[in-house]
Amino acid sequence: MHFKLSLMLAVVTATTLCAQGPETHAGGGPGDAALLRAEFGFANKVVTGAPYSAQAVTQFTQTLANGDHIQRTTTASVFRDSQGRMRTERSAAAMGSLSATGARAIVIHDPVAGVSYALDPANKTARSMMIPAARNRPAGDHVARQSERASASAKIEDLGTQVIQGVNAQGKRVTRVIPAGRVGNEKDIDIVTETWYSPDLQVVVMSKTSDPRFGDSVYQLNSINRAEPDPTLFVVPSDYTVTQGPRFGRRGAARVY
Amino acid sequence: MNDSDFVNQQLLENLRALAADARGHAPQHVEERVVAAFRTRRRRRNLLTWMPLGGAAVAAIAVGLWFNHTPKGSTIPIEDEDASFYPLAEAEALPVLENAMVVRVQLPVSSLRMMGVPVSEEDSDRSVQAELLLGQDGLARGVRLAQ
Repeated sequence: MHFKLSLMLAVVTATTLCAQGPETHAGGGPGDAALLRAEFGFANKVVTGAPYSAQAVTQFTQTLANGDHIQRTTTASVFRDSQGRMRTERSAAAMGSLSATGARAIVIHDPVAGVSYALDPANKTARSMMIPAARNRPAGDHVARQSERASASAKIEDLGTQVIQGVNAQGKRVTRVIPAGRVGNEKDIDIVTETWYSPDLQVVVMSKTSDPRFGDSVYQLNSINRAEPDPTLFVVPSDYTVTQGPRFGRRGAARVY
Repeated sequence: MNDSDFVNQQLLENLRALAADARGHAPQHVEERVVAAFRTRRRRRNLLTWMPLGGAAVAAIAVGLWFNHTPKGSTIPIEDEDASFYPLAEAEALPVLENAMVVRVQLPVSSLRMMGVPVSEEDSDRSVQAELLLGQDGLARGVRLAQ
C-alpha cells in the first residue's frame, strides 16, 4: 500500500515537473498560444564594453471585471558580451495577456557578424538570418516608434537614482491620461510606466506598467552579473546544423517561410 | 513676366556672366548668384513636380482608407514593407524596445481579438500561425500573420 502510494506520488510529481519544464510541447488550451519556434532577435542599439548576464522576470497581472485576477510570470536568461552580442533564452509561459506553451525560445543576436540565430536544442538546428548592422531596428521598428510617440505627450517625473540589483539606476515615471469620454470612459484613465535605467549597462533593469485597460506588469533583471559571459553562449554549437533563413530586407523578415 | 520667367531670366544672366569669365574662375559673387538662382529654380520645379504627385498620393490614401473600412471576410491587418507588425494596444504603455525576439506561435483567431486585433467573427474558431514581437520583458508588442 505504502509502495503504491509512493509510486502514484512519484508519477504525479514527474508529470507535474514535465508539464512545467521548458522543453514541453503542448497544444495549449483555449485562448493559449503554442510557441512553435523562435525566428530571430535584434537589438535596438548595440552596446559594447558593458557585459552582463541576468535573469529577466516579468509578472503580468490582469484584473477581471468580477474582481478575479489572472497572473502570469515569464522568465528569460539574458547574456551580453563586451562586443554587444546577445543571447536570450525565454520560457514560453506567458506573453502578456497570452498564456503560452511550448519549447524554450533561444536567440543569439550577433551585431558584429550582422546575424541572428534561432536555436532549436531539441533538434540541434539553428536558423540564421542576416541582419545588417545599419538595420538595428528591423521589423518592429515602427512598433518601437509608436511607443516613443506615446511617451512624447506624457507627463514625465524624475524619480532620482537608486541601486537595483547592485547597479545604479535612474528612475523615470511617465503618466499618460486618457481623458474622460475619449474612449467612452466615465473617468480619466491614468496609464503609468515607471522605468529604472542603468547608464552603466545601458539597459532598463526594472519597469512597472499599470494600464487599467489591460493589466499591470512588473519587469526586473535579477541576479545581474557583470562578468564577461562564456563566449560559447554567443556561437552556434558545432554539432548544430545551421540553415540559412531569408536575408533581412524590406520584406525579408516579413516573408512567410 | 511671371515668377518662373523672372527666375529663368536671372539664371540666364548669371550663366552669361559666368560665360564671360569662362577662362578663369567665376567671381565669388557670380557663383553665389548662380547657385542661389539654381536652387530657387529647383525648389520651384520640385514643387511643381510633386504637387500633382502629392494630389495623387492623397487620392490613393483616401481610396486605401475607404477600402480598409469596407467590411471584408477577414480583416486581420498585415502592415506592409518593413513595418509589418500590427502594434498591440496593450503594449502602448510598455517601455521602449531595447531588444526583441520574434517567435512563431499557433493561436486561435479569438486570441488575436483578445489582443485587440480586429478580426471577423466567422474566423474566431480558426487557428492560425502568427509571429509575435516580444520585447526585452517578454511582453508582446506586435503581431503579424505568418500563415
